[in-house]
Amino acid sequence: MLTFQKGDELAFQELVERNQSRVIGLIYRFISDAADAEDLAQEVFLRIYRARKTYKPTAKFSTWMFRITANVSLNALRSRSNRRDDVSIDQITDFGDGPRAMPDPDSRLPDTDLHQRELQEKVQEAIRALPEKQQVAVILSKYEGLSYADIALTVGCTTMAVKSLLARARDNLKDQLLLYIRTGRGRQRVS
Amino acid sequence: MPSPCQWVRSVLAAWLDGELKVSTAEAVRRHLEQCESCRAHARLLKESWRLLDEMPPAPVRSGFTGRMMARLVEEKELNRLEARLEPRRRRRQVVASVLGLAAGLILGLVLHTWTGLPEKPKSPIEREVSLNVSFLEDADLMDEIAVIEAMDRLMSDNQPDEGV
Repeated sequence: MLTFQKGDELAFQELVERNQSRVIGLIYRFISDAADAEDLAQEVFLRIYRARKTYKPTAKFSTWMFRITANVSLNALRSRSNRRDDVSIDQITDFGDGPRAMPDPDSRLPDTDLHQRELQEKVQEAIRALPEKQQVAVILSKYEGLSYADIALTVGCTTMAVKSLLARARDNLKDQLLLYIRTGRGRQRVS
Repeated sequence: MPSPCQWVRSVLAAWLDGELKVSTAEAVRRHLEQCESCRAHARLLKESWRLLDEMPPAPVRSGFTGRMMARLVEEKELNRLEARLEPRRRRRQVVASVLGLAAGLILGLVLHTWTGLPEKPKSPIEREVSLNVSFLEDADLMDEIAVIEAMDRLMSDNQPDEGV
């Protein structure tokens, strides 16, 4: 970053090369869409490029990068949910009273894939149902393996606050995923 | 004062993440050895956390760096164009401001001329009343004046002569 800050464009290219999978991976954890994740990752790197002159190496570069990534991801999630709220009545075609299309029996997935996909959806829903700060803390802790201190720097709060954020987040996740836990395997839904 | 179970549950997540001081972690471990309910709680927390591993990692397409650098070139080109357009935009803003100011002045002048027309001349009594009797300003002037004059006349007619 410091070399790039001095105006070395090749250093920026190297920075992109070195961090792309982390940034794309992190965004994907928030929004679960590969194409959007790549677009947003480009946005993250552009922000880094634009902010190169104001960047002060007081904290780790990765902390700064994660903060930008989390902000970009949360903004995308917010605008997505706004778009969903803005859906006009003309766009709603399913009023729930007509005959519904039946799934194509030939396109059915094997049971294990179905369970796997269902479980992934549930996990995704559970993470998304968390308040924003808890979401960020969970994703940084679980998927980036960041310590509480590093999460605190990224989110901009104290380590104690992160401790309490993650305690509440993990309680919420436990409640949301309870049905998938009881068997102890996490793959079979208890009915 | 929280019960030992309440306290342990409040720090269980940090204990599972290895974020507690050694002495605190040891106290939690000792409590879990004795408390079946908290052990079950810890198991649920651990297992639900493990379920998050079921989420697949992001599929990263190759060639990202190339696409990123191409976008950067586009961005720089846009910035260059913006910079070139900036003086023209500023000139346009100045012209628009001057035109707006001139239009405002002309409009003000027209309005002033329009509203500044001489009023219909008042009769001498109207003029006197409007100057001296301020509390009648909003009244129906002529009616009020007629009533006052009539009352004055009546009072002076009915007044007994002094010394009679």
